[in-house]
Amino acid sequence: MQADAAALIGAGLAYGLAAIGPGVGIGIVVGNAVQAMVRQPEMAGQVRTTMFLGIAFTEALALFGLLLFFILFGAA
Amino acid sequence: MSPDVLILAAEEEKSGLFLILPDVSELIWGAVSFVVIVFLVWKLAMPALDRALGDRQKAVVSQLEEAEEAKGAAERLRDDYQRRLDEGVERADRMMESARSDAESLRQEIIERAEAEAVQITERARAEAESERTRVLEEARQEITSLSLDIAEKVVGTQIDASGHQELVERYIRELEEETAE
Amino acid sequence: MTAPILAQIVEVPSDVNHLFDWPAVLPFGINRVVLLMFLATLATFLFLYIPFRKPRAVPSKMGVVVETLVTFVRNGIARDTIGPGSTKYEWLLIPMFFWLLFLNLFEITPLIHFPVTSRMAIPAFLAVLVWITFVFVGLKKHGLSYIKHSLIPSGVPKLLLVLVIPVHLLSTFLIRPISLAVRLFANMIAGHIMLAVFFLTTASYFVFEPKIVAFAIPLAFAIVITAFEIFVAVLQAYIFTLLTAVYIESSINVEH
Repeated sequence: MQADAAALIGAGLAYGLAAIGPGVGIGIVVGNAVQAMVRQPEMAGQVRTTMFLGIAFTEALALFGLLLFFILFGAA
Repeated sequence: MSPDVLILAAEEEKSGLFLILPDVSELIWGAVSFVVIVFLVWKLAMPALDRALGDRQKAVVSQLEEAEEAKGAAERLRDDYQRRLDEGVERADRMMESARSDAESLRQEIIERAEAEAVQITERARAEAESERTRVLEEARQEITSLSLDIAEKVVGTQIDASGHQELVERYIRELEEETAE
Repeated sequence: MTAPILAQIVEVPSDVNHLFDWPAVLPFGINRVVLLMFLATLATFLFLYIPFRKPRAVPSKMGVVVETLVTFVRNGIARDTIGPGSTKYEWLLIPMFFWLLFLNLFEITPLIHFPVTSRMAIPAFLAVLVWITFVFVGLKKHGLSYIKHSLIPSGVPKLLLVLVIPVHLLSTFLIRPISLAVRLFANMIAGHIMLAVFFLTTASYFVFEPKIVAFAIPLAFAIVITAFEIFVAVLQAYIFTLLTAVYIESSINVEH
């Protein structure tokens, strides 16, 4: 029972903590992408593609946390 | 939350990885579906789409060509009209010019003729005046001659007296002598 | 007395597994998820085929939409990423994009409300397929030096290779397919759970505690999240296809 509780707490913490880094990271990615688009509007299309790629790579980390949540949640 | 559902969930005993591991039958059917969709899209959908695109492109190209042709024809027509117009203007200019020179020469001619006529008229008038004068002089001379003859007759006829006669005879004789002396 | 009747309709699941656990209804393990796969396959094919089935000079509205999307995948994803020669990989990218689009959009499709990609099967299968594709492309183009180039970046000191080779091995050949699958799968499962939470909360409040204010709040959230999930569904199909193109490109130009 205690192990289950620990697993559930861990699950919550895992996802919550895993979301911090990517949250900041996506903010940086999008912020810089917006700056780039404002500076060179003619490159906006390419910047947007690259921005989505960057978001996707960064977001993956948070999603691994989500996966960990499911694993721990299932273990409980 | 109904108790039945709780019991049902508890009975199923799904493992913790149920959510994140692929289900075998779903995996197989997913693979089959993907193969099918790739096949269908590649054998049927894409050729149809490409054909539609190709047809449209061809249609657009041919329309463009037609438009180009029509444009060329219109340009040729326009050039033709322009040329004709230019020719007309030129001809009109030429006609104007010739008319002007005609008028000028006509004017010149008229003036010359008028001047000549004037000279002629003056000349004739002068000639007439001259002949008149000559005639008048002639008449005057005849008149004077006849008059002087009359006068002379009268003088001769009425006034020959001794002294006069004497003097006249003497002068005649003198004149006669002078003439012979010469 | 309507509440008990509605309570029979509104089935509140006991845990999160219940949202994704569909028993087989037909032989060969065909359950609701598999049926939805078939539906998506059919829908994708009809979507791409019907507008161009009969040749016509002026395309229909649907034809214009489909054409724009296909051109977007061809030019915006394949050609812009892979460069010349991208048509060799369209056989994979075009069906993949539209199939994933339909599978994802089932999340917010009325009467379906289930993203098939929130089950790991299709993301895992496609990720493996992409992995095979980019490894095959690399090997075919560069032979065994593909492995060497992708593991050993140029200009790294010899001592560091001990560190660099395992990192590249992991990142290129393990993390890539896993993250590709997980990104799609986790996005869709998270979206589905969010929608389920808010709609079930709305329904529960409406049925069990009929207070206007109580159910209006989750309903408002649910509507906003539905709109957001439309965006996510399209974006994830796009990202998956784009990353496939990126991986193929990195196999072609592995020397850089």
